[in-house]
Order: sequence, then C-alpha cells, then structure tokens
Amino acid sequence: MQKAFHRRFLIVILLLLATASCFAALPRPVGYVNDFANVIGRDHRQQMEDVATSLKDEHGVELAVVTIRTAAPLTPKDYATQLFNEWGIGGPEDSGLLILLSVDDREIQVEVGYGLEGVLPDGKVGAILDQAVVPHLAKGEYGQGLLAGAKVFKGELAGEHYELGRREDDWLVAFIIFILIAVIVTYLYRRQEPKGPGGTVHRPRPVRVPRFPHGGGGGFGGFGGGRSGGGGAGRKF
Amino acid sequence: MRKGLIIVGVVVLVFLVAFISQYNSLVTLETNVDARWAQVENQLQRRADLIPNLVNTVKGYASHEERVFSEIAAARSRLLAAGDPGARMEANNSLDAALGRLLAIAESYPELKADASFIRLQDELAGTENRIAVERMRYNESVETWNRAIRRFPTVIFAGLLGKGARPYFQAAEGAREVPQVQF
Repeated sequence: MQKAFHRRFLIVILLLLATASCFAALPRPVGYVNDFANVIGRDHRQQMEDVATSLKDEHGVELAVVTIRTAAPLTPKDYATQLFNEWGIGGPEDSGLLILLSVDDREIQVEVGYGLEGVLPDGKVGAILDQAVVPHLAKGEYGQGLLAGAKVFKGELAGEHYELGRREDDWLVAFIIFILIAVIVTYLYRRQEPKGPGGTVHRPRPVRVPRFPHGGGGGFGGFGGGRSGGGGAGRKF
Repeated sequence: MRKGLIIVGVVVLVFLVAFISQYNSLVTLETNVDARWAQVENQLQRRADLIPNLVNTVKGYASHEERVFSEIAAARSRLLAAGDPGARMEANNSLDAALGRLLAIAESYPELKADASFIRLQDELAGTENRIAVERMRYNESVETWNRAIRRFPTVIFAGLLGKGARPYFQAAEGAREVPQVQF
C-alpha cells in the first residue's frame, strides 16, 4: 500500500521534472563560473571565481562566465539573452554581466544587464573583446581569454557601486509583518479563551519563512534577479 | 416587494463587481502593451540616432556611394516622422534594408572595416539590433496576451463596450534578423 503510494509519488515528481525540463532547456547555474563545455583549467577557474566574488562584494555586480559546446538551435546571442534573464544575473538594479563562450560555434558573446549599459556600451565591450579576449581564444587558450576578459571588465567597473540587497529586505519586511499578525491573532484568540487552571495555553508556532533561492544547486545561492535586453557585443574567433 | 428589491440590488452588485475586475484587468494588460511598445520605440530611436555617425564614418572612406546614403537618410526621416505603430514598423523595415546595403558596401573597403570608430559603431548597431529584437519579442508577447484576453468570454463583451480592439504584432522584415557581425 505504502509502496504503491511511493511509486505514484515518484512518478508525479518525474513528470513534474520532465515538464520543467521541456519548458526550459537551459542549464541551471552552478556558480559564477559554469564550465559546461569543460574547457577551463582549475587555476583559471579559481581566479575567475575570485574576480566574480570581489565584483559582487566591492561593486554589487554579478558576473557569470559560461561555456557551452553549442547554442543550437539558438544563435549564441539569443542564447545569452535568454540565459541572462532565466538566471536573473545582477541585482535589483540589473547590474549583471554574462560572458558566454560557445566553443563549437567559435563565438563569444557578452551580455550586459540594463544597469550596466551606461558603463559598458556595446562599442567598448567589442573593443575589450578584440584587445583582451579574442587573441587568446584564437589560440585555443579559452580559460586564459575568459579570465583576461573578466579582469578587464572588473577594471572598467572600478568606480561603480550597485545595490544587491533589496530582495532580502523584502523578505525581512514580510517576515516582520507575518510575526506581527501572528502575535495579534494569538493575542485576540487567547483573550476569548476561558481562563482557568485547566485551560490550554496557545503558543504561536515557530514561524519558518521558506526561502526559494533563484538558482539553486551545489550550494550556490543563485543570482539576484537582474534583467537584460540584448545589449553587449560578440565576436567570432 | 422588498425582497425583489434586494434581489435586484444583489444582481446589480454582482455585475458591478464583475465589471470593475474586468475593467481593471484590461487596463493592466493594455498598459503592459503600451509600456512594451515604448521600449521598442526607445530602441528604434537609439538606432536612428546612431545612423548619422555611422554614415559619416562610411562617407570618409566611400564618399561616392551617394545612392545608399540618400536611401538611408530618406528611410531614417520616414521613421522619425511616422506616427502610429503600424507606420513606424513599416518605416523601420525599409531602414533595415537600407542599413543592410550600407554594411554590404563596407565589405569592399578594407580600411573602413579596420577603422576603430567604424568597429565601435558597428558594435553599437549590432547591439541595438539585438535590443530591438528582444523588445519586439516582449512587445509581441504582451500583444498576444492582450489579443487573447479580449477575445475570451466574458471579457469580449466588456472589451466591446469599452471599444478596445486587437493590437498589431510587430513583424520583422525578411532578413532583418540577420544581425551585422564584426568578423576577423
């Protein structure tokens, strides 16, 4: 009986997963560096993670580096735009940056979030790719090229600072309101109860606010919900 | 007698509540379509602003290609003069075609292709094309939601009463989706 129930439960879960994966064929983020094509060495990867972490801590900018084998059936640019918005790279000020390397398409695309379009206009992104990134990529030094690009972008963002924390504040406000309501309801409820030695005391249950990380997976907290509209530049190499 | 009044009152109230909620949801959807269109306009304007710079840079290397320059100028001023979305979309499509010819010219001038400001402008132009494509897609999605909503029952009645009709989709011209790429 219980076994049958378990099996049914499993089937439902599997069906849900299947529909979810049909809905979006895009991968989930595993960190700032998502080397799905497996072309970045451990050293470069670690240094890129460091660049991304300091970008986030010092400037409030979220950087995602992604490598894939191919973007087909999409163009790498469309893939980058969709991935950017699906992952929500950048905070509430849309301060996100995505570097997408599509290895078999031999193409690199940089997608700039709405919030960074002023500091990183398309022309500048293109020039950075030409000077710092494409020469490495052309020689097959993918990790080196991506790292060099990440560093130059960090340099360009030196004077900038963006807010990342609004989502947390929303949670805090919701949490406080919830507690207040819980307290008021409990108070009213208790007042109506007959008082006496035998009366049960109603306590508010421990309140647990569920958190739904945007990205999930592998201990990575996910990105902040930033959006982009197709800005940035790309190069074939 | 009094009972009848109450029943009539309840019926009127139910209709009123239904009308208000229908009206509000229509307003939300329509505002969304308008906001999306404003985004498309933004990007069209942005491209129109880029074009004089681009044309001037190309002129520096290929001054005798007068015909293409005047075609672009004409298409651009048509776009800026066009009032309603339909006319703007049409003008935009002919500007697409003229721009395509301009960039094709650039192919036969190696010095132009290597010019730093030309590369920058081409990046800006490609980025703007991408932005137009994205905003157009988002606009079309909002139009689809709107058009579906106003055809459904009972919204179709309210939409008819309020005189709300279907909105046009923004269709790209043939080949307009081919974004100019800077290649090396």
